[in-house]
Amino acid sequence: MKSVVTTVVTAADAAGRFPSQNDLEAVQGNIQRAAARLEAAEKLAAGLDNVTREAGDACFNKYAYLKQPGEAGDSQVKVDKCYRDLGHYMRLINYCLIVGGTGPLDEWGIAGAREVYRTLGLPTNAYIEALTYTRDRACAPRDMSPQALNEFKSYLDYAINALS
Amino acid sequence: MLLWRFSPPFGISGSLNLSPQVALEALHIPTVWPPMLDAFSRTVVSADAKTAPVGGSELASLREYVQDGNKRLDAVNAITSNAYCIVSDAVTGMICENTGLIQAGGNCYPTRRMAACLRDGEIVLRYISYALLAGDASVLDDRCLNGLKETYIALGVPTQSAGRAVSIMKSAATALIGQTNTPANGGAKYRKMETTQGDCSALVAEAGSYFDRVIGAIS
Repeated sequence: MKSVVTTVVTAADAAGRFPSQNDLEAVQGNIQRAAARLEAAEKLAAGLDNVTREAGDACFNKYAYLKQPGEAGDSQVKVDKCYRDLGHYMRLINYCLIVGGTGPLDEWGIAGAREVYRTLGLPTNAYIEALTYTRDRACAPRDMSPQALNEFKSYLDYAINALS
Repeated sequence: MLLWRFSPPFGISGSLNLSPQVALEALHIPTVWPPMLDAFSRTVVSADAKTAPVGGSELASLREYVQDGNKRLDAVNAITSNAYCIVSDAVTGMICENTGLIQAGGNCYPTRRMAACLRDGEIVLRYISYALLAGDASVLDDRCLNGLKETYIALGVPTQSAGRAVSIMKSAATALIGQTNTPANGGAKYRKMETTQGDCSALVAEAGSYFDRVIGAIS
């Protein structure tokens, strides 16, 4: 799982040396920014269901045709699955905030996603709309502190860019 | 002595015109290491198994890691800065307690084999320093302890002596981290790390647990 610590340790191990001062400084920098990340993760976890519901609603409002017969959301089962997937993205973003890197999104959310969506005939635009809505809806200090919000939005943007 | 890393068999790959990686996989030697985790990604992996977000109480231990971050870095530094002293003292101490090791037929005779022993001590200590930095034992397990006992047995290394050397390393390292070393214990090599005084008991216990893990894995 890619994070600052594992990257540093992998490099040190490849060279067969003990962690150097540079390595310790890199970890220290990561730790200094951790408070904001953990705050964002905590707030997101607490509001995960609401965030997911609002994002899904926004997506079906914008692309109402999705619920027409033959489209990706033409039955309640399929609509539920769309909300579930959005919940997964939010959860992976929560994990990224914990780890302090894009490892969880890369390994569990993005790798293979393009192929899966193409096979299932799912529009990635809808996911982008939902994640964009969440990004623009979140605001500081109502939802979380500005620094925490900055961390949260950067991972939302990362997911959006990966899907588009 | 121990073949620590398998060097890529370029001879084989050359004759078959394969890349080293393909050749390694054909020989069933993994070319990709198992995942390495730190305190944060460990929480994430266990949360993913429940498809639940990380929140609430699980964050408390992570906040502790963040809060004591500087202490942890000082602890890693205490090990790395004194690595040579910790390792050489441990191997010397092991031999002093069992002088048969350096007599003809002993496992630290001749110097070539004692050098291998010193090298292994340093490797073990290095992986322990990685684990302490990460706050998780996975890197130690995956890259150092996995198969270590079997290798030692196959090579005829006495695991009891190896375990004793690790336990001496534990005493030295934990004393340096917790700054509980005394001139009486340290003798001519006495040294106190110049860090801010504070409560390091949690880190001392954590570092000790990694040494115990090594001892448990090879005995």
